[in-house]
Amino acid sequence: MQYNAVRVESYMLKALSRSIKSVRLEIGDWRGYALGIVLVALATLLGRLLVNLFAPANIMMFYLIGVTVTAITFGLIPSITASLFSVLAFDFFLVPPYFTFDVEDTQYVVTFVALFVVGVVISYLTMRIRQQTEISIRREHETATLYSLSRSLTITTGLDKTLQTIIQGARETFGRDTVILLPDGAGGTLKPYVETSDSAMNEEELTVICQSLQHQTMSGQGTAVISETGATCVPLKTSRGSVGIMVLKGLKPPKPWNQEQMQLMEVFADLAALVIEHNQLVEEARNAQILEATEKLQAALLSSISHDLRTPLVSVIGVLSSLQEEGINLDDASKSKLIQVAREQAEYLNHIITNLLDVSRVEAGVVKISRQFSDVQDLVGAALEQMSSRIRGRPVTVEIPIELPFISVDFGLIVQTLVNVLDNALKYSPDDSPIDIKGWQIGNEVNIEIADRGIGIPPADISHVFDKFYRLQRPNNIPGTGLGLYICKGIIEAHGGNIAARNRPGGGTIISIILPISAPIEGRKVL
Amino acid sequence: MTDLKILIIDDEEAIRRFLRVTLAAQGYTVLEAASGNDGLSIAAAQKPDVIILDLGLPDIDGVMVTRMLREWTRIPIIILSVRGSEKDKIAALDAGADDYLTKPFGAGELLARIRAALRRSVQTPNEPVFVTGNLEIDLARRLVTLSGQEVQLTPNEYGLLRVLVNNAGKVLTHRHLLHEVWGVEYGEEFHLLHVNISNLRRKIESDPTRPQYIITEPGVGYRLKEI
Repeated sequence: MQYNAVRVESYMLKALSRSIKSVRLEIGDWRGYALGIVLVALATLLGRLLVNLFAPANIMMFYLIGVTVTAITFGLIPSITASLFSVLAFDFFLVPPYFTFDVEDTQYVVTFVALFVVGVVISYLTMRIRQQTEISIRREHETATLYSLSRSLTITTGLDKTLQTIIQGARETFGRDTVILLPDGAGGTLKPYVETSDSAMNEEELTVICQSLQHQTMSGQGTAVISETGATCVPLKTSRGSVGIMVLKGLKPPKPWNQEQMQLMEVFADLAALVIEHNQLVEEARNAQILEATEKLQAALLSSISHDLRTPLVSVIGVLSSLQEEGINLDDASKSKLIQVAREQAEYLNHIITNLLDVSRVEAGVVKISRQFSDVQDLVGAALEQMSSRIRGRPVTVEIPIELPFISVDFGLIVQTLVNVLDNALKYSPDDSPIDIKGWQIGNEVNIEIADRGIGIPPADISHVFDKFYRLQRPNNIPGTGLGLYICKGIIEAHGGNIAARNRPGGGTIISIILPISAPIEGRKVL
Repeated sequence: MTDLKILIIDDEEAIRRFLRVTLAAQGYTVLEAASGNDGLSIAAAQKPDVIILDLGLPDIDGVMVTRMLREWTRIPIIILSVRGSEKDKIAALDAGADDYLTKPFGAGELLARIRAALRRSVQTPNEPVFVTGNLEIDLARRLVTLSGQEVQLTPNEYGLLRVLVNNAGKVLTHRHLLHEVWGVEYGEEFHLLHVNISNLRRKIESDPTRPQYIITEPGVGYRLKEI
């Protein structure tokens, strides 16, 4: 607020200095002088007609009316000139002896001086009134502009819209193409905030921009730096340094700025700078938060992973060392049992590593979906085939109608999703319980459900089963990383589908996968 | 099984050692190369019976090695690849590789693939009747029977089955199958292939969701399983 007060004061100082300047400089145009002369001539004519009826002091009033009119219409210098002419004409035509500048009665000198002084005073006062009016009108306009801008700013949110409002406001206020240049990424190059047809800069404008950036001052038209160019640049300054630059492009033919516009320009630049700085601060705060969350996650990941990775390795190394150890005598049955344990654990290790790689791929967005029209039966079959050693004697039912349409999906990724879901179903249900797989069509989507008769999910946890690292708390002896369903969710959502979990009536879990069928392939059909 | 030479082209010493021990224990003579260039010259000099080729080599990429080998030899090539590199896998298979294994893999799986590859390479192609499980295909009479019952197939379904039978046990990429059955100009019409495979399965598989004959290699292609 203090800053604003200073701004207003400096504005008034400048306005004052401008009014003093204009006392000296307002020569006005020729019409002012012409009007003055015509009015003086009229007053003289009227005076001549009435010279015998009116006293000269009253006739003088005609001249004063002429001077006043000139002052009101054309300003100080023309009206002072008119005053001078009035004195001369009065003397020549209306003070005896007529038609000569000689004066019979010396008291008329006082009349002449009074006429001239009164004329000048009227001229000056009229000029002041004129100026005050002008300033008021400009002030009102400025206030109206800022008011409407601030009103549009209060209803806009986000850097994008706010900057656009400012650019739009500047465009309307100054009648010029306005471009805000902001640093683009790390390269340090400036780029137009909104790329439009008129955001391209010509050589001249670039020179002004460079100057403005170098000296961090307003440059171009209306300033002390490269004032001969059409464009004007205002650096966007904040407490933390310059954040960009506002460019008001030149007009053809060139049109000079007035003081008020220069002031407004700075106000616009300040606003834009404030908005950008605010946005930067918000973003920094958010980044700091994300970083913190990521670090926490990384820590959780590390502790979870190092535990999960080491556990199977402990058995593998243990088994191998006992097989190598000479003092330990193992019969063939024990040996083969140990080897079986080591192998299972090594395979589990492979499973964890695969999941970890998939998570990083899903999260980094590098999973590329290469869609192919795939038979749901084939998808389920491939998943069952991959899990065949785990399924062994389990009763598995598959109900997929022959008429179910092919779906456009990435075959490998969907098989992997089904494998992950099947893996959970097998893990969290008794060894002889059935797994039921169903597929059917709903509108433009296909629903695939995998149901088990396992322990189910506590209702409070249903919404979390797809979260990263989420694991059912109850069965402590079941190994897992809490990544499988998280990966599934990533894959299914990347396909524009949806995956959900619910408890099965009568016990168990149902995982439901909904995938869009998408438009059939067009082209040749040779069947 | 003696006197069969297997060339391993892999830059990982640990994997070569595991393969060397496993294969030597099976009676194979093992040749090793740690780079694509070494592999190419050893293959030319020693004429191995099977080549096991890692796709991620330090000097030339495995797909290129496959292409260069296929310029002069039909020696079966089994690709070793990591998960997620389906594109390279398909490129290598299209370039003429016979089969692939995704790391990590078990010894049993590897030995089975080697045996299948060897069998294919010595198989006389004019064997008219092919039998796997309950499925019997008489290529000379264009007759397909399942448990003795004749199966009616469309020309395209039969064409597919014929290509699969001629390459029994081998992974055939989607593109390869389309080229063989429909022609080169249908190389991208995957929909056509999947629909026909589905229909074929319904006719010859007892449970199409758990096929025993036509196996899906996710994202890569299909394989006819020899039972």
